[in-house]
Amino acid sequence: MKAVNKTYLPLSVFICGMLLGFMSPAWAEPVQEDPLDRAVLEIARDLRCTVCQNQPVAESNADLARDMRQIIREQLVAGKSREEIVDYFVARYGDYVLMKPPAERAGLLLWIAPPLLLIALALLGWFFLRQRSHAPPPPTPVLSAQDQARVRAARRQQD
Amino acid sequence: MFLSGFGFHLVELGHFAAYLALAVALIQALSPVAARISGRPELARIGINASIAMFVLTTLGGLAMIHAFVSDNFSVQYVATNSNSKLPLFYKVSALWGGHEGSLYLWVWVLTLYTLLVAIHGRKHYPDRLPMILAVQGALMVGFFGLILFLSNPFLRLFPVPPDGRDLNPLLQDPGMVFHPPMLYLGYVGLSVPFAFAMAALITRWKSEFWIAHIRRWTLIAWGFLTTGIILGGWWAYYELGWGGYWAWDPVENASFMPWLMATALVHSITVQERRRMLHTWNIFLVITAFSLSLLGTFLVRSGVLSSVHAFAVDPGRGAYILAFMTIVLTVSFGIFLARGRFQEAEEGMTSMLSRESLFVWNNVVFTVATVCVLIATLYPLALDALSGAKITVGAPYFNAVMVPIFLAALLLMAVAPLVPWRKANPERLKSRLLVPAALGLAAGVVMLVTTWPLHWTGPVAAALIAFVTGTIVTDYARAVRQRRVQHPGESLLRALTRTVLGNRRHYGGMIVHLGIIAIAIGLTGSGLFRLEKSVIMMPGEVVEVGSERLRFDGVRSFQRENYFTLQGQFTLLDRNIVVLPERRRYPVQDMPTTESGIHSTLWRDVYVVIAEPVGEGNQTKWGVHVYLNPLIQWIWGGGLIALFGLGVTLSSRRRTVRDAVAATAAAS
Repeated sequence: MKAVNKTYLPLSVFICGMLLGFMSPAWAEPVQEDPLDRAVLEIARDLRCTVCQNQPVAESNADLARDMRQIIREQLVAGKSREEIVDYFVARYGDYVLMKPPAERAGLLLWIAPPLLLIALALLGWFFLRQRSHAPPPPTPVLSAQDQARVRAARRQQD
Repeated sequence: MFLSGFGFHLVELGHFAAYLALAVALIQALSPVAARISGRPELARIGINASIAMFVLTTLGGLAMIHAFVSDNFSVQYVATNSNSKLPLFYKVSALWGGHEGSLYLWVWVLTLYTLLVAIHGRKHYPDRLPMILAVQGALMVGFFGLILFLSNPFLRLFPVPPDGRDLNPLLQDPGMVFHPPMLYLGYVGLSVPFAFAMAALITRWKSEFWIAHIRRWTLIAWGFLTTGIILGGWWAYYELGWGGYWAWDPVENASFMPWLMATALVHSITVQERRRMLHTWNIFLVITAFSLSLLGTFLVRSGVLSSVHAFAVDPGRGAYILAFMTIVLTVSFGIFLARGRFQEAEEGMTSMLSRESLFVWNNVVFTVATVCVLIATLYPLALDALSGAKITVGAPYFNAVMVPIFLAALLLMAVAPLVPWRKANPERLKSRLLVPAALGLAAGVVMLVTTWPLHWTGPVAAALIAFVTGTIVTDYARAVRQRRVQHPGESLLRALTRTVLGNRRHYGGMIVHLGIIAIAIGLTGSGLFRLEKSVIMMPGEVVEVGSERLRFDGVRSFQRENYFTLQGQFTLLDRNIVVLPERRRYPVQDMPTTESGIHSTLWRDVYVVIAEPVGEGNQTKWGVHVYLNPLIQWIWGGGLIALFGLGVTLSSRRRTVRDAVAATAAAS
């Protein structure tokens, strides 16, 4: 009996809640997003939660991420700009905190490598194509009489 | 009592089978060497029987492990760490690949399966080279069984036997995660077959025309499994991780993406070798690289180098072994390549800069750049940390900035290449054929630019290229159908449509794959650029609006399911009266929360709801709610299905190889 009660209690609470829910008209004023929340998330998206596994602060539920979001909020309230807030975290955690590595110091390589690679491989491809198109085709190998007979037989077989 | 005793012995039997497998793998790897040294070529044939024995032994070990999981045999350490008596049966079986040891075992199990298939196929089609191919695969098995038996052994026992297991990671208790690893491994390991072919070809100086058709089919099969695995992984991340996205450029994702990129380059350039007898050495280089990257992928994910959801173990011995194994594979394979590569020579030259084969070379340039970029960005932070202690993060914003332009270049090639014939294109004809699709693309780009201004530059460019590619494929197909109707005047339109495809399955199969990729590109563009999101705090009865969708929060309920507690929120999509049920689950054994997003999908958009934490208490409890409107996301999964269908069409075409014809003649005479 007890087990039955246990399952029914939340269910009845739920149904009551549902009924209450239906009473509110469908054209009710929708809940608005706190613009400050949005601003916090926009900044938190580009910062890494430094104790997490490759997760931005915006998406993490770790305590540190929560604290960092709170700091962003406080600084926004205090009138700081996005750059100032990001700099604040970089000063504390280094470049590690940026989801997108900066194009300077250790991060520089990451930004110059792709275009250089593209240029290098494109040149390689170009030279390869040029060289191949000028190269005389290698001589056609001559089959022995025996092989030629086998090929002829194979062809006949196929037809 | 008898049954439990039987189970205990079964584990030992499996363990013994695994040791035996290591010995047999050694025999398989060394049989051609023994044949050469002793001068008795018949010894090499041992490899074929060994490959059968390998599969049987490895299967025995795998089944013993599965039996241990299903029968809750917690005396096995691996079972005790990755299972629990309350775990549903379905997940008990899949828990085999839920941890480090078992997933390596699955890897080698799949390898023995492929080897068996190669042995069966090869006995008929390439019997004289088969022993060498099997020996290469045998050598890989030796490496893997060594790692499994000596450093990450799933058969190890635990004493005293714990009363219950520590449960499978709750994130993995999901249908998406049941199928994602086997598919991915079928792809990774599938690339070992072209690798073994390439090695055998180099060592035995096998002429290209005899192996190229086989290697192409095996590569296509591996490509199909890799694609399936990657898309399944994205799908799982999408509805299980609750951040509204599907691809985060996480190192483990990159680990599976790099072999895919190389395999994609390979399936294109291998066609050049088959049709135009060029790029022989380059293709072998690609095969070796693609397989090395799938080894790297397995090890990156499984060695604990990257700390992320997928990495379960950190063990220095294991890391050293893996590094040594990788080094040996790379040194030996590239050593053989350098020593013997010149015997695999191109036989023909490029006729024109404007030809299918030259565009395939550009395709290879684009995909190689893409692979190297991903490789650098994935490994650079690790190397930097190890060498100088400096830490940097290379996150999704970096990858999007670098990779999206590369993908757009690939789309441009995709639009032009199918219209360019082999050998030499007629520039005038090409221009006239490209005119309509290019105009279509331009129009699509302009429309996109005007209707959605302001927008990131990739949006209109992607739209233009997507329309361009689609235009090319459709006009090309329409032209072929028209031609056929002229040749067969009595045919119905439907018959002409299907006959055209069936008459040239390789080409149209490939075009269907391209259409699948285009559908995926549409999904990526839509969800990447036009996602709307809101995070709000709501009380039951309140309504939230995102885009044109209105959702009412009806309330929450909590109850218990098989092995977890869940807190389920209910939301009603007011315009359609459809209910979505996001959940927060808590798995008591590991005391770990997971999210289950509530998703309502149509072809055009997904409404994606995640219920976050409660704020306040009692009657006034409010709930944090994240709502996302993800446009066109279903196109990604649908595109994957289209691509697989196209791959099936391509693979269904059978072409007799030279070897078969010669064998047939020999049999006839």
